[in-house]
Amino acid sequence: MPFAQSLLESLTRDLPFLYGPLFLILAATLMIWPGDLFVGRNNKRIWSYVAFLVLAGGGTLALLAPTGTGFSDMFKVDGLTKGFQFLCVVAGLITIVLSQPQLNALREQTVEYYALILFSISGMMLLVGATDLVSMYFSLELMALCIYILVAYLRTQERSIEAGLKYFLLGAFSSGILLYGISLLFAATGGTTTNLAKLNEELALVSPNGSLMVFAGSLMVLVGFAFKVAGVPFHMWSPDAYEGAPTPITAFMSMAPKAAALGAFVRVFGTGLHGVSSEWVLPLSFIAGASMVLGNVTALRQQSMKRLLAYSSIAHVGYMLLGVLSGDVQAGAQAIWLYMLTYLAMQSGAFAVIICLQGKGEGERIEDLRGLATRQPVLAFTMMVFMLSLAGIPPLLGFFSKFYLFKLAIEQGFVALTVLALLTSAVAAYYYLNVVATMYFKEPVEVEGEVPPLSTTFTFILTASCALILVGTFFGPKLLDWTARIVLG
Amino acid sequence: MEQLLIKIGQNFFLIFGVIALGGATTMIFAKNAVHSVMGFLLSMLAVAGCYLSFGAEFMGVAQLLVYAGGIVVLFLFVVMLVELSKAKEKGLFQRQTPFALALVLAGAVAFVGVFWKTLFGASAREALTLAPGLVAQGEKLGNAQMVSRGLFAEYLLPFEILSVILLVALVGAVVLAKAERV
Repeated sequence: MPFAQSLLESLTRDLPFLYGPLFLILAATLMIWPGDLFVGRNNKRIWSYVAFLVLAGGGTLALLAPTGTGFSDMFKVDGLTKGFQFLCVVAGLITIVLSQPQLNALREQTVEYYALILFSISGMMLLVGATDLVSMYFSLELMALCIYILVAYLRTQERSIEAGLKYFLLGAFSSGILLYGISLLFAATGGTTTNLAKLNEELALVSPNGSLMVFAGSLMVLVGFAFKVAGVPFHMWSPDAYEGAPTPITAFMSMAPKAAALGAFVRVFGTGLHGVSSEWVLPLSFIAGASMVLGNVTALRQQSMKRLLAYSSIAHVGYMLLGVLSGDVQAGAQAIWLYMLTYLAMQSGAFAVIICLQGKGEGERIEDLRGLATRQPVLAFTMMVFMLSLAGIPPLLGFFSKFYLFKLAIEQGFVALTVLALLTSAVAAYYYLNVVATMYFKEPVEVEGEVPPLSTTFTFILTASCALILVGTFFGPKLLDWTARIVLG
Repeated sequence: MEQLLIKIGQNFFLIFGVIALGGATTMIFAKNAVHSVMGFLLSMLAVAGCYLSFGAEFMGVAQLLVYAGGIVVLFLFVVMLVELSKAKEKGLFQRQTPFALALVLAGAVAFVGVFWKTLFGASAREALTLAPGLVAQGEKLGNAQMVSRGLFAEYLLPFEILSVILLVALVGAVVLAKAERV
């Protein structure tokens, strides 16, 4: 049985690359069955602790994985993989903590909620390491399918279901476009390969006859990815999905899948389609520029905090696409990683504050923040730090990551886009500062009943994110350089 | 007569392809949902015929069993159980028909252009062909064996991810449909 033997050998050789995601998948499956049989109806909270530990364990395993390529060149563990896997795991851990107040209040604690988060993160882990269009596509689907379900998780609320359905339909549609693009690229290489490195070589050799097919294929792959990261004009699903989803899942959506999809974005366009960059640089520049402008300008008019953060995250994706555009893949990935890391701190902090104030899923309008400074001085202060940092006001951490990204973009010759990015950042400062002004200078609203005290984990997240951002003030450039060197090698 | 038969035999793919397109058109435009499902069935059967005409007997049989057998029955169940008249009354999906038609036409023209240039372009070099090496290997090994090798050796990772996706779909169906949660 030479075939079976070779199969076994390659499997034992390659398996260590996947210990992290495999552990998550196995643990999540065992949690659903038989684990859930042993947990009583009122003890479902236990699963949050279990999921937290499992995720931390899976993340550690992924970070300890050996570097190399396996599974017939379909999965690669390198600095980029580990760096983005780390981001996804941290985002998942934060989401699990943030989920507690709302799930407890609505009595919606189930094992499936946590299992779906774990499945989704395993999909992200596979996605950022995928070096083949086929494995990339399937991991992307695994990641997205879990999130469709999580968005519609509160199925007694109409807007949650609406958000889930919208997200699902548009997501399925965009997957179809992505898949068709992949098939066109596959056909253009003569049906020989979908491996990114080989694809790059083969696409360079395509006859002039096939050039139009390469253009159409790369354009459709670009559209598919733009849908996933919610870049304008493929962003329509995101504000509705963000608003309708349970708030912790909104936080999750704005952090983890974005990090993973951007990681894959850099890898696909940086390695697989690097040689044909003339085909996609212009459309991608348009998407980046449009995301910055439309994301920021539309955010100006938003009344809901969740919608505001949704539109601002569209704008942030626009900035990060500058890193994808960069001809230097390593530097681009590094800049995106740093941006995503700081974005994670700011975004999770902002959502933690919203969830603290929100209680049972109401009260997420900007107006509800009026006079927060007198009611809850600590919360108001942390929120101010997050908002200022999101706006990229100089001494804070958000400034440094933006600075790195824009510097890279200028070095790579995207001067006009960078100027646009700077101008739109100035627009963005208006609505972020508006939130701060609402908290500090408006008359406080009457609040009925006691405000619940902050739990320790919440305090921890708030303090940690806030400290990270403030520490960035002093060590900013050094800290970023240092982490980037360690993680991305 | 014999000539005609040979001619037909050579063009099985085209014949089945046209039938599949007809079925798909019926599926989209039929007013009655059951007729839509029947159009879908026809389309799937014809696609199985396409596979067979390429000598991909494993794919053909799998197509028959899975799509024509399993999925069509599932669709019929859904169509019979779900009340669809409400969606019709609300006129859902009706307002955007002109835009959708215009977009589809533009897309169709663009793609016909792409394929036209790829297949019959002015370039002197040969038109695109699908991996000839793969075909030779397939003839040596046999169809089902090639598929299994692809699934369990080369494409093992995507195959296993796909199994997790199916698990997630099941879990998701339960999460969204279960009557009582806590």
